Amino acid sequence: MDPLDALENQSIYIFREAHRKFKDLAMLWSIGKDSTTLLWLARKAFFGKVPFPLVHIDTGFKHPVMIEYRDRMAKEWAVDLVVSRNEEALCQGMEPGKGRFVCCNALKTQGLQQVLDRHGFKGVFLGIRRDEEGSRAKERIFSPRDKNFEWNYKDQPPELWDQFNTSFGPDTHVRIHPLLSWTELDIWEYIRREEIPICPLYLSRDGKRFRSLGCVPCNFPIASGASTVNEIIEELKVTKTPERAGRAQDHEAAYMMQKLRSLGYM
Amino acid sequence: MNISSTLRIVIVGHVDHGKSTLIGRLFYDTGSLPEERYREIEATCREQGRAFEFAYLMDALQEEREHNITIDTAQTFFKTSLRPYIIIDAPGHKEFLKNMITGAAAADAAILLVDGAEGVREQTRRHAYMLSLLGLRQGVVAVNKLDLVDFRRDRFEEVEEEIRGFLLSVGLVPAHVVPISAREGDNIAAPSERTAWYSGPTLLGALDSFSPARDISGLPLRFPVQDIYVGDGKRVYAGRVESGCLRAGSRAVFSPSGKKAVVRSVEKWKQPDRTVASAGECVGVTFTEELFVERGEVLSEEGEASPAAREISASLFWLGNDPLRLSARYVLKLATAEVEAVLSAITERIDSSTLEVTERHANRVENLEVANVTFTLQHPIAADTFKENPRLGRFVVTVGEFVAGGGIVREVRSDRLGRGTRVVRLHSRMMTEPDGNFVDLSQEAGPVEFEVSREFVARLGEGEKVAIRLCTADQLEKIARLAFGYGLGMTFRRGPEGNRVVLFREGPVVQAATEVEFPVI
Repeated sequence: MDPLDALENQSIYIFREAHRKFKDLAMLWSIGKDSTTLLWLARKAFFGKVPFPLVHIDTGFKHPVMIEYRDRMAKEWAVDLVVSRNEEALCQGMEPGKGRFVCCNALKTQGLQQVLDRHGFKGVFLGIRRDEEGSRAKERIFSPRDKNFEWNYKDQPPELWDQFNTSFGPDTHVRIHPLLSWTELDIWEYIRREEIPICPLYLSRDGKRFRSLGCVPCNFPIASGASTVNEIIEELKVTKTPERAGRAQDHEAAYMMQKLRSLGYM
Repeated sequence: MNISSTLRIVIVGHVDHGKSTLIGRLFYDTGSLPEERYREIEATCREQGRAFEFAYLMDALQEEREHNITIDTAQTFFKTSLRPYIIIDAPGHKEFLKNMITGAAAADAAILLVDGAEGVREQTRRHAYMLSLLGLRQGVVAVNKLDLVDFRRDRFEEVEEEIRGFLLSVGLVPAHVVPISAREGDNIAAPSERTAWYSGPTLLGALDSFSPARDISGLPLRFPVQDIYVGDGKRVYAGRVESGCLRAGSRAVFSPSGKKAVVRSVEKWKQPDRTVASAGECVGVTFTEELFVERGEVLSEEGEASPAAREISASLFWLGNDPLRLSARYVLKLATAEVEAVLSAITERIDSSTLEVTERHANRVENLEVANVTFTLQHPIAADTFKENPRLGRFVVTVGEFVAGGGIVREVRSDRLGRGTRVVRLHSRMMTEPDGNFVDLSQEAGPVEFEVSREFVARLGEGEKVAIRLCTADQLEKIARLAFGYGLGMTFRRGPEGNRVVLFREGPVVQAATEVEFPVI
């Protein structure tokens, strides 16, 4: 079987399994290429009618181009979109100057927690991949989070033969990761094959483009002339720089992503 | 673009035998280590006052780096000129066996790593045995750290002999046994001058020689129902083709219910003209008539249904913290079926690192042990033996919320109600002809169990023989067991007129054996 088809089928299987086993699911849509691919896969899995809402955690620092693209696609694809902002923190002046760890934790992690509580979501789909960074590489496809939102990475239950742990206690919520086995290159090749419309910030303008999309103050573009998906793929095949090189929170302190993730970050 | 299938490799072995270093080295030697990661590792090592550690590539978690051990499986990707690889690192420490199994369960082939200076250890054997239970038959052994023994040929051959012996006893034959040094790079990507006495491939060469996973398209159709979507006046049955091929227009049957239906269409979003779905594909299926079938049922082509299992005998490995107990209730999950079951027998308890049968007819199985067991199911489910169909022949055992064990199906015993195993009474089927007694099984294609009467055995004792014409290799095995159990002699002949065995008796009657006394594989 073609490798992209194999990945696609595995992701569809995971979506259908999760939908069967859990109520009150939602999908996190960060507007980036991975979660948009995830949304595309959800549409395939459910024959065009995604049976759960899409949640965008808007930190308030997102690029306007992203917001415009989000609203346009949500309408075109008839998506049930829930936008959530941690208004309390923003009103108190939360911003990256207060320390990236503190800011990510407040605007993203707590933003996520708030929307889960408010809507009673018991599980969320996320588009993280193993090859993105070290602690994500250790994830399971169905991964529980306890009532304190914490990730017990030291004692994960075994996941075997596509039999996922799908019965959890009442206070846990589950994170579901259908894209874990996909690489950055797989995502782009799939986007090309399926002609998935992506956020224009990925494409080069004035010699720069974003390889990874985050918040404006903490996300740095790369020098690149790639202005089409084909060109991005060619560029990816020769690059030696990792994908998240332009994401400041990854580099701020040793093991910062691991610490953030153990507290419930994506 | 020449798309060569990605091969998923797991690296297993005893703790500290060098797995993480090997992986880091594989990356570096194939040019797959991003420069920034290299510098990151270099900086961390400098901070800690140590020499460059390739192992840091995989051991991303802080605890792992601090304690120098791997806790969980991680996956990373690299390419040789032949194809892409996914390397699943699996931890070596005993406590992390469940993580190792999670990793290995997803692999197509394995590298069993052994420290050449220290030799074969407990986890080396345990992991090898697990690989065999997980059905992983392709592998290469890498004897590492030969730099510590000056690349001596005699030491390598000593370790090679020991590991080959153990692997053989669990039914595994490695494709190659390669002498390496992960730290220094010998025989990883390039042949080493320090092992001029070795003429086999490098480790990467050995990996490139593996073939992709077993072809399951030639097996009978198995389509377990995952969910049912109702809309636009249609009922669409969603699932994944686990083996074989699903075609629109075919006459199909469900197991265990036995319900029959004709497939009307194969559905995929935005692909209205599909008529076929092949192994691995997730699709929706509709039928020509209204049908109500639940998740867990398995669709096959008419005449080739999965047996409906009421009782399953299996080899299983136990990962739960609490022991697996005789007569306790558990939930088994096989494909999309889920069923409550009672553990009705623990035939043998096995120490997974020595393979010793520690107890027969036991009443519990401890964490990290392997056992041959029987489960009696609350209601029938579709199941195949692992040998016949690996996808429908494996299951997990859950305790409370989590997976606590996994098993592969050795035998299925069915309900008479379902389409399942037939009991063939050889004494009733025997025909007496001028040139001898004869049983014709050549039309018995399905799963069978044999029974014989005392008179049958007695007649053989009086000098008579019986020739049995076979249909399947499974029958040959079953008759051999029967012969063993009753102390009968057996000869067999393969020929153009068919395959036959002849049963006779040489010595006195033996008490029927209730278990076959063989070491377990």
